[in-house]
Amino acid sequence: MFILQLIVAGLAVGSVYAIIALGIVLIYKCSGVVNFAQGGYAMLGAFFTYALTTAGLPSAAALVVSLLLMGVVGALTQTLILRPMLKAPVVAVMMATLGILIIFRAICLLIWGPDQIGFPKLFPDGSIEVGGIFMTYNYVAAFLLSAVLCGAFLAFYRYTPLGLMQRCTADNTRAALAVGIHVSNQVTIAWTASAMLAGLGGSLLASLNGLSLGLSNIGLVAFPVIVLGGMTSLPGAVVAGLILGVLQAVTDGLLTPAIERVLRDYTEIYSVGALQQVIPYALLVVVLLVRPQGIFGSKESERV
Amino acid sequence: MLMARGVTIRFGGVVAVGGMDMDVHPGEIVGLIGPNGAGKTTFVNAISGTYVPNAGSIRWQDEDLVGRTPNRLARMGVGRTFQNVASLSDLTVLDIVKVGRSVRGAGGGLRDLFASGRRQDDELAQKYLEPLGLADHRNTPLQMLSYGHRKAVDIARALAGEPDLLLLDEPVAGVAPAEAFALAGFVKKIRDLMGCAVVMVEHKMDIVMCTCDRIVVMAGGVKIFDGSCAGAQSDPEVRRVYLGHA
Repeated sequence: MFILQLIVAGLAVGSVYAIIALGIVLIYKCSGVVNFAQGGYAMLGAFFTYALTTAGLPSAAALVVSLLLMGVVGALTQTLILRPMLKAPVVAVMMATLGILIIFRAICLLIWGPDQIGFPKLFPDGSIEVGGIFMTYNYVAAFLLSAVLCGAFLAFYRYTPLGLMQRCTADNTRAALAVGIHVSNQVTIAWTASAMLAGLGGSLLASLNGLSLGLSNIGLVAFPVIVLGGMTSLPGAVVAGLILGVLQAVTDGLLTPAIERVLRDYTEIYSVGALQQVIPYALLVVVLLVRPQGIFGSKESERV
Repeated sequence: MLMARGVTIRFGGVVAVGGMDMDVHPGEIVGLIGPNGAGKTTFVNAISGTYVPNAGSIRWQDEDLVGRTPNRLARMGVGRTFQNVASLSDLTVLDIVKVGRSVRGAGGGLRDLFASGRRQDDELAQKYLEPLGLADHRNTPLQMLSYGHRKAVDIARALAGEPDLLLLDEPVAGVAPAEAFALAGFVKKIRDLMGCAVVMVEHKMDIVMCTCDRIVVMAGGVKIFDGSCAGAQSDPEVRRVYLGHA
């Protein structure tokens, strides 16, 4: 029963990882750029939600407004910083995204300070019980909201004309350009969607774990997720996010206590620390060794 | 109408197109022929915005085309197909036709955020895929199709944008003869239906003769003949560039 409990909690956190990772994959697919600033967007979204709720907005409204604000931020950063770099090498653009991350952190530090902030309660206290498993409203809401946003985004990508142009750009940028798609506008749209996904993900994570500048590190956890899922696969990012969330929860709840028990019996070591934070990167190494293309990725093959 | 005057395109010291003039009237199918390296594709690329000419002017319906990007041109009603078909590997045939439709209409409106209906899809398939024998392949990813079919998809994609000027770059090269005549027949039918002007670069003379209303012959980057199909066959200059001195 306890392990089921852990899995459910892990799925909730994992669903948030999934929407944050989706944004990275989206941008990578249509511009070949790995967005290091994704964690920054998640953090900024959480701070927006925090500022809006403390300003007196109800939590639902704060989440929606923060989502829209993040869309604006995403579009602006792409237009102002990355669009002028259209002809720059991809590596230079990635460095620019690293710069964006630093700027975001500095701005948040300036306004909100370095300390951990008690994040306002977005969802009521309490929990529901299903078949002996207890889930707090926090976790249920985080899971449902991520699932809804993720579903909405995938539907947009799959069924709308704009999503079709996104897919076309992702498939072959040069061909998309040739048939008359405004590719740089598509990249702006990708950044907008990505920032919105990250912003909501950040808000939800902050509602689970509290808010500080450290939230921007979630951008690092997203990398093992997209590598596991296969860099270019959107469903892959979702599945891998869920897997990672569950792995972390199980590590935290079962593996760490077990290891600590053994260590305490035989050595002087009392604690192994936050082992669940090591899991994503250990997973990253294993995936890169065993299956570099990830779960859903395909091996690049070139016809000679 | 399309009016090109003195179009010149140089690559370094090589003059690919050197002062080319050409008019295309609405509803006309013009065949653009010439020996290899005559500059036909380069000229078409200049019209469709891939190259910016070093000199000369290209006007379409009294608007300057020079320096326009392909997405602007698509919205102005200039559509084109490619000699080497664009390799959009993962999209399905219907998806690609929908892209062709979208680039014409898309003004970034809110309509684009909502799913297009199944009825619209069926209509597109019936209008552009069925006549090209692609109806059974509407949900097939492009990479699964034969070369000939992919060329047909490229034409369907260009037509779905309902262009007023359609540029076809070697539409039947590498396509089996029977399919080639069917394709050419379809181009003619589309012209009759939509009244668009067509510029067709093609090497297969039998296709050109039975499709085009007028023929322009290029050699060495300039126009050497402009007239009827029969005239092109008997013109001494055309014979010279194709066959050498008599």
